[in-house]
Amino acid sequence: MKPYFLEDFGNPSSLHEPGDVASRALEKARRDVARFINAGEAKEIIFTSGATESNNLALIGYAMRNRKKGRHVIISEIEHISIHNIAKYLQKQGFEISKVPVDYTGKVRLEKLQERLREDTILISIQHANNEIGTIQPIREISNMAQEHGIAFHVDAVAAEGLVPIDVQAGGIDLLTLSSNDIYGPRGAGALYIKQGVRVNPIIIGGGQERGLRSGTEDIASIVGFGKAARVIMERMPEEPSRLEKLRDYLIDNILSHIPKAYLNGHPTDRLPNNAHFRFDWIEGESILVNLKTLGVAVSTGSACSSKTLQASHTLISLGLLHEEAHGSLEVTLGRWTTREEIDAFLEILPGVISRLRSLSPLTKMEELKE
Amino acid sequence: MKSTNYSKKVLDHFNNPRNVGTLEGDNVAVGRVGNPVCGDLMDIYIKVNDEGKIVDIKFKTFGCGSAVATSSMITEIAKGKSIEEALQISRNDVADELDGLPPVKMHCSNLAADALHEAIKNFKEGKKGPTEIGSARYACPSGEISETKGVDAYLGKGVHEGYEDLEGMRGKRVIVVEYGNESIEYALELAKITGRVIVMTPLKELAVDESLQKAVRRSDIKLLPQSELVEISGGKTVEKVLIHDLDEDDNYELFVDAVVIPR
Repeated sequence: MKPYFLEDFGNPSSLHEPGDVASRALEKARRDVARFINAGEAKEIIFTSGATESNNLALIGYAMRNRKKGRHVIISEIEHISIHNIAKYLQKQGFEISKVPVDYTGKVRLEKLQERLREDTILISIQHANNEIGTIQPIREISNMAQEHGIAFHVDAVAAEGLVPIDVQAGGIDLLTLSSNDIYGPRGAGALYIKQGVRVNPIIIGGGQERGLRSGTEDIASIVGFGKAARVIMERMPEEPSRLEKLRDYLIDNILSHIPKAYLNGHPTDRLPNNAHFRFDWIEGESILVNLKTLGVAVSTGSACSSKTLQASHTLISLGLLHEEAHGSLEVTLGRWTTREEIDAFLEILPGVISRLRSLSPLTKMEELKE
Repeated sequence: MKSTNYSKKVLDHFNNPRNVGTLEGDNVAVGRVGNPVCGDLMDIYIKVNDEGKIVDIKFKTFGCGSAVATSSMITEIAKGKSIEEALQISRNDVADELDGLPPVKMHCSNLAADALHEAIKNFKEGKKGPTEIGSARYACPSGEISETKGVDAYLGKGVHEGYEDLEGMRGKRVIVVEYGNESIEYALELAKITGRVIVMTPLKELAVDESLQKAVRRSDIKLLPQSELVEISGGKTVEKVLIHDLDEDDNYELFVDAVVIPR
């Protein structure tokens, strides 16, 4: 992507030679991203500024274009916050939103989805996998249900991309959101897959770039980086996910067997290979995070104390967890550079951190630990 | 400022908290503030001598990094002060002594001062010792079970009045309203076949045999004391319940698949 910052900064819409260089690079990236999700044609890929914009284009663009068919949209309780907020916006525009609950493992309850289908339902938006707890959704079953009723199906694949195979054709998917930075590409680029024949209104109006669906001069350097990241990740499938899966299971088994009153959030097997999500009775997640941070380990938490809103994670609450359990949760994600040695070092320090914080907490019931 | 961007002093008090523990004996009082539902709970113990001076002080805290640090800091500030002087310590004093807190964390330091003031209030009112914690601020629950909305509408659709359908509960999130030994024996059986069993009672503890209480503690059952079921809701079958926390006088929602209300 570097030359597109320093040398080849032609506008892909221009007819001169530098413009041609840029437009060739753009189309190559489009083919790479299309191949990454097995899209039938490269033109089904619309480049955007990132996943948030893609989600906006998918939900608002589809709902506005198809509002004469109906005004009912279904999402799940554990969608990414951007989907929840877009749904709220659509509600203000006169659409009705239904949310499907999930089970204790974070899987969408299909019988509850069935219950929510209506004559005027036009769109279902369900993530491929959850960004916090890593639960992978039954995409094919959901798309069968959508197709049976002539409803469009949008999939937010940001958490899943690069970790599980994504196939828009086999999956029966109409719209699919991707981001560049979630597959180690640069920030500032994303894509929306729009299946041929699916009609969407643009949400950004202008000079008609990206088939008129996303006006504005393309960020060539970021998009080229996105295409390259997609190629690299394809080369690493399926070895890298299976390497991560082994490390993940090793981590989970060790924590659950060595720390009392520790629980795994999410699904035991249908989860992203890089995701392990725990909760520990009686202590608060942000304190675990800060303690680990001082020891050089970076993790995340569903605790309200670490968020901007001071609200416990809506995903964890949707699993049926109590607020104090959601506060006590810890997300550990593994990456391309995570090694077995690092996991061992983490396993070495975590029990001490947990028992130190438990010794500080008034909620800790020592007799339960002894029993 | 990021919410976990702490000063060196905050991190020092978090990593090496001063005066952790509890106090017992004469002239001891305790103040508890916060609510684990909000992510913070703080107990501050004080021992006061005949001249009204705080001669010893300890804390226990469930909460974020700054909650621990502010608890630790307030024990240092208050130690050796008279109770009247200690009542003047404000949340800003605690934050200042720690070289500041991230803005969103100011509520945590608020708690440390409140807990100390609560302990002093309890001391003055002669409420001494940790056994006074619950009754110091909150009314005891009556133990009467009030009417729950939605029971009839969801009977057979996720609401069960008996213990017959054990196998049908496999893998589900089940909430059991405590109703004597038999209800707890059933909950313990449930815990063997599903990962999520919640037992609720309006009382502070389960009113069942000691051996069963012990078995519940050893199991993965989540116990909700001082709680009442307000409403059961969902689509064609149960999806959620609304729970009233008698201790906090507060309602909150919980996602469940089945509710057992023995009659």
